[in-house]
Amino acid sequence: MKIDHSQPLEYSTHQNQLNILGFWIFLGAEIMLFGTLFMGYFTLEGRTGAGPTPAQIFEITPVLIETFVLLTSSFTIGLGIHAMRLGRKNAMLSFFAITLLLGLVFLGVEIYEFMHYYHVGATYQTSAFTAALLTTLGTHGAHVTLGLFWGLFIILQVKKRGLTPQTANKSFIFSLYWHFLDVVWIFIFSFIYLKGMM
Amino acid sequence: MKELFPAKQVMGFVASLVLTLIALLVVFTDMSYTAGMTILLVTAFIQATLQLVVFMHAGETEDGWAIYSNILFGIVIVVLSVLGTLLILLWDM
Repeated sequence: MKIDHSQPLEYSTHQNQLNILGFWIFLGAEIMLFGTLFMGYFTLEGRTGAGPTPAQIFEITPVLIETFVLLTSSFTIGLGIHAMRLGRKNAMLSFFAITLLLGLVFLGVEIYEFMHYYHVGATYQTSAFTAALLTTLGTHGAHVTLGLFWGLFIILQVKKRGLTPQTANKSFIFSLYWHFLDVVWIFIFSFIYLKGMM
Repeated sequence: MKELFPAKQVMGFVASLVLTLIALLVVFTDMSYTAGMTILLVTAFIQATLQLVVFMHAGETEDGWAIYSNILFGIVIVVLSVLGTLLILLWDM
């Protein structure tokens, strides 16, 4: 295996570069997945039937907490990758741990939000609007949940094996995934919540 | 400690906070639907680009062109299908 020392560790082998490009191609497919969910949501958001409208069930406070928590976690994992490039393993692991804690807070608030919807009578079966809403939010939430486990295993592996071309590559790819979840959230925040409360 | 907080990323974070606050104006001030949607479209796409370039390091390596064209492909497909859906199912054109 040829290691190119002029590149950051996560890019240092040919295989690593291919892994990163491959993950970007996966993210391209994820863009289309969330695109179809938005398509469904925009089509169905007015079909509320006998159920509540978006403005009646959306609460700004939990949405703001989720938004700022996820934005900050995207920043901290970026700092984690920067620390990794400096070879500062402990700083990197701390930033990754902070990121996952913020992710956990996000998930907790989202679970609260889903319980709130249940209590005000907006369940999966209530109307086309609530079904499209909960599917879109749920798909994003499931991605965050998966990310929490993935990130935990990344931390454990870096702790055990140290920073090698392989672990650095895996960490970098995980950071791409996490940033992507924040990008999706920006669109959910803007075009589901803010648009619904406007 | 200072080298752990690169200026580029701190600025990116501050910019994303500011853009979020601008987007919030849509809810907390009285404005028309068109004005609100314009603000949301602008702030959301700038924020997404910010994440891509500042945090995800797209375009830093030799295969940056492949990364950007792949993402652009995804965005084009999504924009076409979302606009097409709106056009046929909601705007009755």
